[in-house]
Parts: sequence; structure tokens; C-alpha cells
Amino acid sequence: MKDRLLPYWLLIPAFIIVLATTIYPLAYSFITSFRAWDLTKSRRPEGFVGLDNYIYATGESQFLNSLWVTFIFVITSVILTVILAMALALLLRRKGPMHTFTRIILILPFAMSPALIGVSYRFMFNPEFGVIANGLGAVFPALQGVPWLADPNLAMGILVLTDVWHWTPYMTFMCLGGLASIPRETEEAARIDGASNLRIIFGIILPQMRGVILVMAVLKTIFALKMFDQVVTLTGGGPGTSTETLAYFIFNVGFRWFDMGYASALAWILTAIMMFISIWYVRMLLSERKMATA
Amino acid sequence: MKILTSAIAIAASLYGAQALAWEATEGRPFEGQTVNVLAVKSSQFEAHEARLAEFEEATGIDVVYDYVPFPNMKEALTTEMVAGGDYDVVSVMDQWVHSLQMLMEPIGPGIEAQGTDLSDFPAAHLRHGMLDGELIGLPVRGHVQLMFYRTDILEKAGVTPPQTWEEMVTVAKAIQENTDAAGVALPYGKLNGQNLMVWMNLLWGNGGDLFDADGNAIFNSAEGVAATETYISYLTEEEIVPAGSAVFVEQDAVTSFKQGNSAMLPVWWWVRSQLSDPEQSTLTADQIGFTALPSVAGADRTTFTNTWIFGVTAESDNKDAATEFLGWLTDPALERDVLMDPDLSEVVAVHMSNLTDAEVNERWGGMHQAAADALATADGVEFGDNWPRIVLILETAISSLASGEATDVKAVLDAAAEDIAAIR
Repeated sequence: MKDRLLPYWLLIPAFIIVLATTIYPLAYSFITSFRAWDLTKSRRPEGFVGLDNYIYATGESQFLNSLWVTFIFVITSVILTVILAMALALLLRRKGPMHTFTRIILILPFAMSPALIGVSYRFMFNPEFGVIANGLGAVFPALQGVPWLADPNLAMGILVLTDVWHWTPYMTFMCLGGLASIPRETEEAARIDGASNLRIIFGIILPQMRGVILVMAVLKTIFALKMFDQVVTLTGGGPGTSTETLAYFIFNVGFRWFDMGYASALAWILTAIMMFISIWYVRMLLSERKMATA
Repeated sequence: MKILTSAIAIAASLYGAQALAWEATEGRPFEGQTVNVLAVKSSQFEAHEARLAEFEEATGIDVVYDYVPFPNMKEALTTEMVAGGDYDVVSVMDQWVHSLQMLMEPIGPGIEAQGTDLSDFPAAHLRHGMLDGELIGLPVRGHVQLMFYRTDILEKAGVTPPQTWEEMVTVAKAIQENTDAAGVALPYGKLNGQNLMVWMNLLWGNGGDLFDADGNAIFNSAEGVAATETYISYLTEEEIVPAGSAVFVEQDAVTSFKQGNSAMLPVWWWVRSQLSDPEQSTLTADQIGFTALPSVAGADRTTFTNTWIFGVTAESDNKDAATEFLGWLTDPALERDVLMDPDLSEVVAVHMSNLTDAEVNERWGGMHQAAADALATADGVEFGDNWPRIVLILETAISSLASGEATDVKAVLDAAAEDIAAIR
């Protein structure tokens, strides 16, 4: 009897921690999303307002803009990260001292703090003294003095660049793990049959990597939806509102405007988007397994 | 209320004499208590901290400073307001006072007991320590805007410091034709409303204002549109600012000047202390001149002000000891000691007695008298509860125009006015 209950007793501390740090805040914020709460006037949430906060969001231009900006950012950063990670993994899967060394230094971008990445890139793209800005200007004179972060499209491009640079190493290692599980015999057989490298990649490797690519895409989508640090340190949501993602907008609503009820509602809208993606992924994965076992 | 010409400001500027020095409360009634201070990172406040021994010896109160960089200060204060209890004294920027009103404790009677002479504070600064008629903080750090310029570059270009915004364009173009420097460094990027601080002077100079007496937005009037078009034109048409200015925040503009890439810099006067600091600037003191902020031709001079108050927190367990500390911190003698310290380059002063002091002005080339003159005609903004959101809307509008994301000034300002009117 004691042996049967022991695992549950041992789980209790972890459960308490999860309850305190995850479940309780989630539940509290969910309830707050249905209440009015102006932090400048009250330390505690005020009266219930039903769906007012959610309805207000649907008509607010800044929220709708942040949704669009987030959509653009997520799509571009996910696609670029997945493609780049896959390409790097294919290059690095052979053995050798250079490949080992490259794998080691590849982890550096991922080890950096996202906020530091944003600050660094802001300096590097400064037209007056930035190393990238001036380097590009030296190689391509037409690019000298270009205000990279002052143009809405270029600013979004650099934001995507920092995110891709940050996450590609992590995704590359996921791909390397997936590639290691592919039987070599299928590739060798294809080579013997005269298949080119490109044909092998697209005809044999990628189909077998489908599950890994799906996991990468879903994880990267969730990470991109939550991305916040680089927006704060690199662009501040600007120029204008061109890089004001939903996560950054929620921060402004909660901690600059002090409208905690509305911020909670926006946070749950973002959560709902991520939950939808996760549920969709699980269904895709389960349907694949059903087909595989059928 | 456009021009602040209160009797207090005029009387204080004429007074000019040293206010009474602070004295510790007899009997050291707060001995053994600790006062925890949350302050924005500033060399001025570090200079105060370095002089704490005198206060601690006189009162038996221990004082512990914690510093937070400016970009994170609002969040730190918000946390203190919501969670509460860690700090007894906090520094709060004027624009945040209303939105952080639950953080602050009224200190009127306590400060009166300290013998603090409120008339020695310029009204333009002191007003930001008032909330609903009660004193909730005292100015310790206060700024006016000045135009700093490179004396050597202007001389090389054969021009003199501009007195009007129109002259500034002419001077800037002459500089760019004759030297490698950009004419003037201006912030257009978004960060806590920094791209509004020069823009507002143009707005007032053109006869416009932010809001009318009923609180309705009027910055989208014809005058407001003209002022905004002028401010944006420095970047897009006149091209007298550095490349990348569309995303410059204040510190980027200051860095551009310090690195010798810009010849003029309209900015808060406190920046003077870092402009010739060899650890962060390529400039020497003799390369730096200053003049009053330009005016719109034919209009009165204006300057926006910025004030940091220190106040006692509502959740403090040591309110009386904290008030004692405030009395010492706001002693004009302490401020003067920092101003005259040959090992420091601190210029900030909020006491009229120091602003008009002959020795202080001799050390700083008359900058403080210029500040006192500017404070007499300084314009102010009524920072209500929604000011942080209003700032975000306005700075986004300016940033949109500067980056080219939007080009119709009237339409952008109208949209901003609608967004402000829609604030719940």
C-alpha cells in the first residue's frame, strides 16, 4: 500500500510548484480577462465586464495591426529557420574535425540572451558606426548610409534575421538527430541507382524527415509567437508600428497603459492561437501514426 | 495654460539668496532605522550617495541605494507599487506621477517640519510633486532643454548658433556643406516619448497645444500640422540630421554628437556632463558651446521641462525616517556641493538659489542662469492618468511619419487624436 502511494507523494512537491507558478497565474489571468482593472486606480481587479475586453480587441486598430505584424514575422521566421536548419544539418551530418568544430560554435547564437542579440544588432546596423552597416556600405557603395532600422520593411527583415540567427542552431541540432535516425541503406541504394544528391534529398531524406520538420515548425511557430526581447531592444515596436508584435503590444497594454484586464484578454487570445496550433499539430501527428500502422 | 508665469517662479528667481540649510531632527529619533531608496541610474544621485556619511552620522539612519537604468525604471516602480514594501523612498519621473499615484505618500506636513523652503524650487518643477493639491514629492533632478553645439565646427562653417528653428536649418546646411558632420542630431524613434521633446517646442512655438481646456486633442490643428511638418522636414526634406535618425532615441542623438558626427544637439542640459567625459566622448570642453533652445521666428521662446521627484512610498514602514532623508536630499547646500565639486561634472540643479548663484554660473559658463531664465517661461503639460498611453500614441505617430510608414501628417495626427479620444 505504501509502495503504491509513494510515487504520488514524491510528485507532490513538483505539483505544488507547477500549481503555484503555472496553473494559478493562468487561472488568475483568465479570470482577470473578464474584469476591468486599471492599475493606476486599484491594486486589485475591479468589477466583472464579461466579454468587453475581448470585444474591444476586435475593433482596436493597434491590436489588429499587431496580429498582422505577428503573422508576417512568424511566417517568414519559421520558413527561413526550417530551411536554413535543414540545410546546415545536411552539411554537418558528416564526420570530421571541421564538422565537429562547426557544430560546437554553432551553439553560440542560441546561447546568447535574446535581449543582448537585439542590442547588438541595433548597434551593428547603426549607419554611423555599425560594423554590418558600414561593412555592407564598403562592399556595396549604394548601401552606404542606409538607415536599416528606419525603414519599416528593412526593420522587419532585420528582426526576422535576428530571430532566425538565434534559433537556427537549436533547430539544426534537431535535424541532425532526425537525420541520424534515417537508415543509410536507402541513401546508398539510391546512389547506386544513379540518383543525384538533390534527388536523394528531396526524394528520400526529406520525406523521412517529415515528422521532425513538423515538430520544428510547430515549436518554432510557438517560439516566434512569444518573441519579445528583440522587439524591445532592437526596434521598440517601430518604426511606427511596423514591428509591434502581439507580445510587445500586450506588454505595452499591461505595463505602460496599466490596463491589466485588457492585457489579460489579449494574452489569452495569444494563448488560444498557440493552443490551436498545438492541437492541430497533435492531430497531424496522430493521423500520420495511424497511416503508418495501417 | 501656456506660459507659466507664477508669482512663485518670478519671486524665487529674483530672490537668489541661499535657502536655509537642512538640520537633523533633534534627539535622533530615527536612529537605527534603514531607508531603502529606489533611484534611476544617474551620476547625480551617485554623487548624493557618496555624501551620505554626513546624513547617517547626524541621524543614525542607514540609507541604502538601489539603481535601475532609465528604460527599466517604470517597470521597477510599477512592481513596487503593486507588490510593495521593499523601498521607502523612490524617484519618479514627472510623466509617471499620476499613473503611479498609489505608490506615493503625501509628505506636506513632514517636509514642513524639516524646514524645507518650497519657494526655492521653480514652479515648473515643483508642480510635478503635487497631486490633487497635496505634496507627494520634491524635485531633486530637473531639466530644461538647451542647444549644444560644436564651437569649432560652427566656426569652420562660418556660422553662429541659431536663435530660431528657421536659422537652425540654414546653419545646419552650411555645416554640411563645409564639414563632414551632420547639421543637427534629433531623435525620431520611440522610447518613452523622447521624440516628442523637441516636437512640443515647435508645437507651442507655432501657436498650437496638445489639449484644450476640456481635454480634447488639438495637436491636429493647422498649427499642430505645421509644427509636425516642420519637425519631419528636418529629416525627409532638409536632410540636416544623421542617417538613421528615424530610429534615433535621445541617447543615439547624444552619441552622434559625442562621436563628432553631428554639430548641434537640442537636448536636456544634464547631457552636458557626458559631452566632454573622456570615457564616453571624443570631445573636449572647449569644443562645446550652448545656447537657449531656438524659438519659432516671431514667437516667444519655450522649453519643455523634465522633472524627477523623490517621494516616500505609501507602503514604507519608515515614513518619518524617509521624510528626514528627503529633507537632507533636497537641501540646496547638498546640491551646490555637487555642482561645485571639481572632481565631478554634474550640472543639474533644481534650486533657484543655485541656478542664479554667481560661482555656479562662473564654473558652468552661465548655463544655470540660462536655465533659470528658461524655467521662468517654461511650458508644462498636465500629465494625467492616461499620459503613458497618450505618449505611446503620439510617439508612434511621429515615428510613422519619420520612417515613411505614413506621409499624410494631417491624417496621422487625426488618427492619433481619435485613438486618444477612444482611450477607455
